[in-house]
Formats: sequence, C-alpha cells, structure tokens
Amino acid sequence: MLRLGGLLIPAVAAPALLTGCGTSPASSAGNVLRVSQPGDPKTMDPHKQGDMTSMNALINMFDTLTTRGQDNLLHPRLALTWVARGATTWRFTLRPGVTFHNGEPCDAAAVKFSIERVLDPATKSPIVELRYVKDVTVVDPLTVDVHTTLHDPILPDKLSLFGGVVVPPRYLAKVGDAGFAEHPVGTGPFTFVRWQRDHQLRMRAFPGHWQGRPHVDELVFSPQPNPSSSLAALQSGQVDLVAGLTPDAAQQLDGYGGVKLDGFTGIRTSYLSLNTLADGPLKDRRVRQALNHAVDVPLLIKAVLGGKATEVPAMIPRGAFGFDPSVQPFTRSVDTARKLLAEAGHPNGFSTQLTASNIDSNVAEAISGLLSRAGVHAKVQLLDPGTYADRLTSDDHNALGPMYLAASTVWTLDGESMLQSNVRSDRRQSRWHDKDADHLIDVEELSEDPAERKRAFSDLQRLIQREAPFVPLYQIDNIYARNSRPRWKPGSAGVLAMQSAEIST
Amino acid sequence: MSELTLRPPRAAGTGRPRLDVRSGLLRAVLIRVGTALLVLLCTATVSFFLVRLSGDPVKLLLPPDATAKQESVLRASLGLDKPLITQYLDYIWGLLHFDFGNSISYNEPVGHVLADRLPATLELAAAALVVTLVIAVPAGIVAAMRRGRASDRGIMTGVLLGQSTPPFWVGILLILVFAVGLHALPASGYGTFANLVLPAVTLSVYSIAVVARLLRSSLIDVLSSDHIRTARAKGFGPVKTVLTHGLRNASLPVVTVVGLEVGSLLGGAILTEQVFSWPGVGQLTIEAISNRDFPLVQATVLFFATTFVVVNLLVDLSYSLLDPRVRNSR
Repeated sequence: MLRLGGLLIPAVAAPALLTGCGTSPASSAGNVLRVSQPGDPKTMDPHKQGDMTSMNALINMFDTLTTRGQDNLLHPRLALTWVARGATTWRFTLRPGVTFHNGEPCDAAAVKFSIERVLDPATKSPIVELRYVKDVTVVDPLTVDVHTTLHDPILPDKLSLFGGVVVPPRYLAKVGDAGFAEHPVGTGPFTFVRWQRDHQLRMRAFPGHWQGRPHVDELVFSPQPNPSSSLAALQSGQVDLVAGLTPDAAQQLDGYGGVKLDGFTGIRTSYLSLNTLADGPLKDRRVRQALNHAVDVPLLIKAVLGGKATEVPAMIPRGAFGFDPSVQPFTRSVDTARKLLAEAGHPNGFSTQLTASNIDSNVAEAISGLLSRAGVHAKVQLLDPGTYADRLTSDDHNALGPMYLAASTVWTLDGESMLQSNVRSDRRQSRWHDKDADHLIDVEELSEDPAERKRAFSDLQRLIQREAPFVPLYQIDNIYARNSRPRWKPGSAGVLAMQSAEIST
Repeated sequence: MSELTLRPPRAAGTGRPRLDVRSGLLRAVLIRVGTALLVLLCTATVSFFLVRLSGDPVKLLLPPDATAKQESVLRASLGLDKPLITQYLDYIWGLLHFDFGNSISYNEPVGHVLADRLPATLELAAAALVVTLVIAVPAGIVAAMRRGRASDRGIMTGVLLGQSTPPFWVGILLILVFAVGLHALPASGYGTFANLVLPAVTLSVYSIAVVARLLRSSLIDVLSSDHIRTARAKGFGPVKTVLTHGLRNASLPVVTVVGLEVGSLLGGAILTEQVFSWPGVGQLTIEAISNRDFPLVQATVLFFATTFVVVNLLVDLSYSLLDPRVRNSR
C-alpha cells in the first residue's frame, strides 16, 4: 500500500503545481459587469475571426470606422463622415485626436494598414465583407480613400463591424501577430486585462476614450456553452447578464425571482428556401404559394418560439434598409393552400422533404406539421451544422433537397446582405432563376442612389411575394436574461457593445 | 525474453540477480514503449483520415455568402489544397518534431491552444481521483468486512446508483442543489477551490463506484485465503489483518482499475467540462470537432490516446513492483 501511495502522490501533486498560478474569482461586488454568452472568442486578433461571438467581446476593445445605433441607423465612429466619390471610391474623414490604448495615434495610415491587413492572404482572415475592396490610399492624415472593383453601396455599413476594425500598425510591427493576439491594443472603450481561454476575458474602462470613460469600471466576459449552466450561473449570482439565449432556454427562466428577461426585435431571419430548379411540384408557382399559405407563421412563433420572434413578410426584416412595410404577409389559410394545390394538380397533396440543421429541429418539425394540414407531407431531414453548411454552399443546387430551412444574420442592416447569396441566378445558393429578380438585384447592389435602391428592394419583395421561391418565416428576438444590476439596451444586431451599460451597485 | 528465463530467478547472496531483474525491467519497458509509440502512430493516422471525411472546415470558417475565390484563397493558406498524402506526410513529419500544426479556428499553433487548457483538465482529473480514493477505498473496505450486513448492502446500493447515473445528470442535480438552491458553491467557472468541488464530485461518481466494488470483491477473495486465516490465528484483530495483509494482496486488480480510471477521468471530463463550463481539453475537443478544426481534433485525440497508453504502461510496470511473481516471471 505504501508503494501504491508513492505511485499516486506525484500524479496528484503535479496538476496542483501546474495550476499554482490560479486565478482570483470574478468579484461580484463593485462596478463590474459580468456578461456570459454561449461561446468564447476565437482569438483576440479582430482580423483573424469572423464570428459574432468573438466580435461581441472584441467590439469593447476596438472601434470600427462606422457604427450602428440603437435607432438602427449608421453613425460615425472612427470615421466622422463618408461620401462616395464616383462609382468605385469611398472617402472617409477620420475623427481627429483618437489614440490607441498605448498612445499610438489612430490616423489614416492606421486605417489603410488595417484594411489592407484584412485583405492580405497572409492574414488568413475569415472576414469576407471587404471582397470588393481593391486598395486604400491616404489623402492626408485624417482622410482615406477606399477603392473598390465595383460600386459597393453598403461599404460604410460593412465597416460597422468585422471589416471596419482599426488596429495599431506600429504596435503590431513591434510585437508581431502572436504578441498582438496575446495582448490586444485598440482604440475602444475598454482595455485588455487578461484572457483565460474558455474561462473569462477581463477588460478595464479606458479613461482616454474619445467618447469619454465608460460607466462600468470592469467588464468580464465568460463563455457558458450550456444554457442551463448559464442560467444557473445567473441564478447563483455569478453573472449579471446572459446573452445569446434561445427562446426555449429563456422559457425555462420565466417566473424565477431575481431574473429578468429582455427581448428585443432581432435581425436574424429564418426562411424556407424552395428549389424551383429541380423537377417536381415546387416548379409550380401555385404550389409555392400554397406552402406560404400553409405555414402559419404567427402560430409557429407562438407555439415553438414562445412568442419571441416577429413575422417577416418577404425576406427583408424590419430595421434593415429596404424593408417595405406595405408588403403584407400571406394570409395563412389551409383552405387556400388546398385550393392552390388542387389547381396545380395535387388535390391530395404530395410528399417531399424538408432539410434543416439539427439546431433548428424544433422549428423544422413544427413546419412539417403545419404543412401536413394542407396535405403536404414533408419528411424532416436533420443534418449536423457542418454538413449543412457544406451542402448549402455546394455547387450542386439540389444538395439540400427540395426545401430547406435557413437563417441569415443581416448585421449590415441592409437588405442586400439578406438576398445577395440566394437570389441572383449566378449566386451559389440561388434555387430560383428569374430575369426580373436578377435585374433588381443589380440595381440595389450597384446603384449609387439610395432612393433607387429602396425602390428596387420594394419591387423585389413584391416579386418574391408573387413568385414565392421562399417561405419567409420570422426574425428572432435577441433575448437577454439578467439580474437587477445592469442597465443596457442592445441594437437590432444584438452586438454586446457595453460602453453604454450601467450597473447599480 | 528467452535469455532472461535462463537466468536463475533469485540466486541468493551474489547481488547479480537484482541487476538482472532491472535490466529485464528495462527491456520490458523499452518493448512496451515501442508498442505504445506504434499505437500512437496508428491513432494519429486514423484520426487524420477520419476527420477529413467529415467535410470542409473552410465552409464553416467563412460565412455562407463568401465567394468561391475567398474560399480557395483561405483553403490554400491553410494548406488544405495540397494532396491528402502530402498533408499526411507533413502532419507526421511535424509530429516527429512535436509540431502539431496550426489550429484552423484559432489561427495559432495547436500546441499553445492545448497547453492553455491542459492544466484545467489535469486539475479536474486529479481532484476527481483524490475524491475517488478518499471515498472508494474506505467504502470498499467497510463493505468487504461487513459483507452481507446492512452497511454492505447500503454501500453496494450506492455503488449501483453511482455506476448507472450519467455524469452530466449528476452534475445538473448538484448545480441545482448546491449552486441554485443553497448558493453554497459556484455553478460554473474556474480558478478557486470552490469552483473545483462540484465538477470533481460529478466526475468521480462513476469511478468511486467502480473502485469500491472492485476493492470489495477483491478483498473478500483475499480475506478467505489461507494466509489471512493464519494471521487471524496468530491473534491479529480483523482491522489489523485487513490493513496489513489483506489490502496489499487485494491492491493488484485495484491498481489496474484505478490506473484505467485515470484515463477515463481525463476522457470523461469532456461531458463534465461542458456542464460546468470548465475551460479544459474536453470542452476544447467538442468545439474543435464542431468547427472541423482538423489539427486541433487530431491533437486532442492524440492527447487522450497518449494518456491511456501512458497510464496502461504505468499500470503494467507497477505490477512488477507490487507482485514478486510478475517481477520474476520476466
């Protein structure tokens, strides 16, 4: 037994040594805001990530050229003004006197460096928004021209998040990419303190921020991949605000003392895409309209999503540029659906398949149930998110079968982001070829006149209603659970920018 | 090996046999290490090809509206455009230099990413092992000594319960009671002793059951053997007999199973880490799999495989320390 003990003691003691430099727990007192979201940032280098989870944390340490206000309009941030100078040049005038956390000035050279860093293949950046940007020229220390290969009317919108982050060129030259990711330096309202992967990211208020010091002294982000764990953390007083909750996770919390649920109309928009190209019933417009009548979206929202979503009439969500309130959703009527199906030669309905990512299994099953009331028997096929993504962008347009459930986050808040990849005939996810639609997409993507773009969007939405190549569903609420301490309101995109947050101590 | 058997197992008084035993051990160790390396090479190979069957990581890395050109640029910069065999040879060549490649989703060396999470997982597994031994050893002894009585039946019922309850369920129950209900311990997080308690207990429940049950049955076997009766006849009390004579002899299978439990504690941490948001290798593995982060998946698989192989090796070697029969048969 003694020898057995001798064998075990090193095994037990070694890890204790490894973790000797343990950490202090998040303090629950004082002017500290503790936020949890489902995932941890991938990296602290804003140019080497392309996911909202990472961006939610990084936006607190970095500033972007433009920003989205709570009014959903585009506002100045590091750029004070922007104007299109001809078809392929956007000129940005920068805010004077902005410095990075290390004192380095944030000027035109930094902006040029930042945009070109995203475009450089050596950066291996997953950011795709700057695809039309060719290069950047410095006009004077506070003015840059961004040149594009074709007119990009929403370039300023695209610079409100991922592609618009400005990083310090001198600091990067000094510490290199790896050093930068270890200790990021931005111009944002909070400075980096410490990041322990999958555990917590600590930030401190930056007193020298151009917009003034943030209200909270410290900001702590922690990942909680499991919704019930995050709710337990909230209930036991470990975190103040839980973001990224799904409606069913939020429902678990309803009615608990000390827990408040906030829902704000979000921008993530779900829809069914119908393959109109392959042979089958979906080639017929009447059948597609019938499906739109059969899927009772308000009922779906009430029954499956606990009411935490808003119906979308024709693909473009409320709050995005191009949304036309005069376009009304389909009347939901099983009788109309049956009548249309009969006219199209399917008086007894038909059988088909509905493909979805397994994270959307509840919604997919519910839609299948709604369709069956009109006689359309859609067998639900669930795929893991990876396989789903593979097939979505596959060259085979039928890879996801006759109809699939999809969702897009339109964080640019422009209708273009919603339609760009699945409408025009030459786009990768297009399952609907229509000359008029192609023309309207060209107008909204290439026109320099906002009024003209708006008209094109309205016409597109009416065309989508008539041809029904999609079954538009809903834009889901951004749901937050919190205790009584934080006061904060997000914008539609649900970005966790905490500069304006206050906390009652 | 045959050379060894020719030597007299224990020639008294020369001092040489001890050396023989050592060199025999050394040889056995070398053979075992060689086999272990071969096992790891096979694991590396199988995991390399298996993860590549799962699809394209670039599709998950980029938003769906990325252009085909953007995808191919990124794919090339990750080296995923090279022929599979080239990728494989690069990978094995890197392994020989302890270079696990660059994580696709983290965009930095896999070694760094893994090293960041390793302490948390080791800490959790070590704590769970301590909890296991502290509870299972006394429980096993008590059950064996009081075989058939109420305390034995009570312990065995607990063991059955522990062995048949999934760890994540135990974790959720513990969170509900101790974090949400009593506010006594944190529901998740990392860094303090309080953070460690619930996950360690959760993780150890299954191991406690396995070790306690095995110790009980192995002790019962030993206690009915001749030398124990002799000891009892010499006037040793039951407790002293068990502690001095019984445990030593009953420990061999228990060491095996404790060793294997170390492996499964590390592996079992995957679910527990998920429930408690514990920043360890388990959580990293799940994330790497869902992101199709090939190099990271390969490295974590290799990590778990290495753990099992090393633990098995140590268990084998500890046999020869514990049991002279094993030692001499070499």
